[in-house]
Amino acid sequence: MSIVLVGVNHKTAPVEVRELLAFSEEACAEGLRALVDGEVVSEGLIVSTCNRVEILTATTSGRIKESRERITNFVSQSRSLPHDLFRDHSYSHIDDQAVRHIFRVASSLDSMVVGEPQVLGQVRQAYSVALEAGTAGRVLNRLIHQAFRVAKRVRTETGIAANAVSISYMAVELGKKIFGSLKGQSVLLVGAGEMAELSARHLINAGVSRVLIANRTEESSERLAKEFGGEAVNFERLADYLPDADIVVCSTGAGEYVVTANMARKALNRRRNRPAFFIDISVPRNLDPAIGDLPNAFVFDIDDLESVISSNIREREREAERAELIVDSEVMQFQQSLRVMEIGPSLGALRQKLQDLARSEMIRQRNRLGHLTPEQESAIEALLLSTVNKISHPLIDRMRRSFDGGDNESIQAWREVFDLED
Amino acid sequence: MRSLLLAVLAAYVVSAIHSVLAFVNKRRALQRVSDWAMATGFVLHTAALVADWFVDGHYPLFYLRETLSFLAWTLVGSYALVRYRYGAHALGSLTLPAVSLLVFLALLIGSPGGTQEPGFSGTWLFPVHTTLLLFAYAAFFVVFVASVMYLLQERELKLKTFSAIFHRLPSLITLNEIATSAAATGLALLTIGIATGMLWSSSRYGLLWHNDPKEIFALLTWLLYLLLIIYRSTAHWRGRSAAWLGVAGFVLVLFTFFGARWMGGYHVFG
Repeated sequence: MSIVLVGVNHKTAPVEVRELLAFSEEACAEGLRALVDGEVVSEGLIVSTCNRVEILTATTSGRIKESRERITNFVSQSRSLPHDLFRDHSYSHIDDQAVRHIFRVASSLDSMVVGEPQVLGQVRQAYSVALEAGTAGRVLNRLIHQAFRVAKRVRTETGIAANAVSISYMAVELGKKIFGSLKGQSVLLVGAGEMAELSARHLINAGVSRVLIANRTEESSERLAKEFGGEAVNFERLADYLPDADIVVCSTGAGEYVVTANMARKALNRRRNRPAFFIDISVPRNLDPAIGDLPNAFVFDIDDLESVISSNIREREREAERAELIVDSEVMQFQQSLRVMEIGPSLGALRQKLQDLARSEMIRQRNRLGHLTPEQESAIEALLLSTVNKISHPLIDRMRRSFDGGDNESIQAWREVFDLED
Repeated sequence: MRSLLLAVLAAYVVSAIHSVLAFVNKRRALQRVSDWAMATGFVLHTAALVADWFVDGHYPLFYLRETLSFLAWTLVGSYALVRYRYGAHALGSLTLPAVSLLVFLALLIGSPGGTQEPGFSGTWLFPVHTTLLLFAYAAFFVVFVASVMYLLQERELKLKTFSAIFHRLPSLITLNEIATSAAATGLALLTIGIATGMLWSSSRYGLLWHNDPKEIFALLTWLLYLLLIIYRSTAHWRGRSAAWLGVAGFVLVLFTFFGARWMGGYHVFG
């Protein structure tokens, strides 16, 4: 049994190609049933997201080339695309390379943003579609379950997903470093831009309980207030609301400072020096940078956020190196368990064959023995079987060990001698 | 009791190493090892102190060796409280190595031979006085560690450049809360500790105040933390300035505890 994976991802194919190749859930189920023929391809699964399409299959060993061809044809036909388009952009991995690839995908090591959490859910979804379509068998079951385990290990044992890598989430992360929990904190949105909206959404998810929105045009602040269950406040009276806000997110199109250092100083005094967190995502800046010099005020403009993000990405990449080690060891484990899974039945069959041989000899010679009591009869059978077992045991043991160790030469020799199936 | 204290030291060292590793690697498994090792060490340590008390026949807080060991015990107790209340295990990576060092020193100094029996174990006021003061010192150590962490983190937030430790530290508000409540606790203990000391002294010598260096430093310490509490509670000072005061206060505590020994005076021990 071999594992063959063919796919495209954001590194090998531009979005124009990926969107042509994407499979809907129904298309996955239908396609899988067409792809898995039980002869060349015995199991299959399709992971299709906006960044990748991966066709993962279990195929008959020795027919790898054929199966690769079959997968490529299948994708081209089912997406009605010219044959070359998929082939030119795709990669294919075999056996431990394929296993490694799917482990890396599930643990988000192959993602555009390393460590993003969505991809694991997408793999899970793909697996349940394959289960329903009946195309995930014992090999893929084992492989995918182990992929889930690898993803969990990577997530808990490395800091790959630890630090924020988007501006809107940065607000939450820095807010937590200042306030601990964001539960019960209040946020003031100055300006109602898209980025401010996104940040506010993250902040609310993290527990911020009060949202104030100040915008020059009242309609947009009313709209956002309704959406977030917040309050729209008068933009001209910004200074009055400033002391209430633990977090200020500023994103107006104004050409001058909307919050001056003086306003901030007064607000901080009214806050009795409770810390305040100012985020300025507008260009030109809307918050006077001098606010940052005031005690207990923390100001981050867009450049500050970007530079923290790029250092976080570097940190994630360092953690990813540790994650690769985990993946390596899991790939080895999987290969071993696959070998045991494959050889288990053949070894069982071999033992059965030897025992059957002993029994048939017994039947052939039975007449010559004359009358025997049932005890004598079963004693003779036990004698034969235990002799067979005692002789075959070290043999089977050796065979199992050479399979475990991946000793291909001996495996081939054993197969030839005992006429074992592949 | 030496072998028991050695076991205590071993447990604390294990705990300290795992705590530091957990701080560096952010591994929860390591933190769990550290917590369990610390709990084991604390139980053994308590047993060692009780055993000392019975075997030596005096409250185990007289010789320098005993004082160091007792101080380590109060530090572990205080850290465990903070750990439980605020989940701030980052403090352990500074506290636990300090604890290990204290126990190690206590072992190194060893027993002075027991020739000079403490003459004033008769009254209960004296052990109360010393115990309270040691707990106060431990509380001030917590203030110190929380303040240092506050200053480090505040600086990084202001400069917007985050080092590796940034993500390991508790939030500013949490550190502030830890420092405030530890300072309040410490001050209360210090006040009662000094008061019992005065009572004991007046009952023994008829003198409330000896004017020895330790007393003067203790008074200065007391004033400083009083100032810190007043400022913190009126919220004029929060954050940086309060944190600096927390650091300064601890320097004074160190001086009271160790420095005054070498300046003579009638306080013979820590």
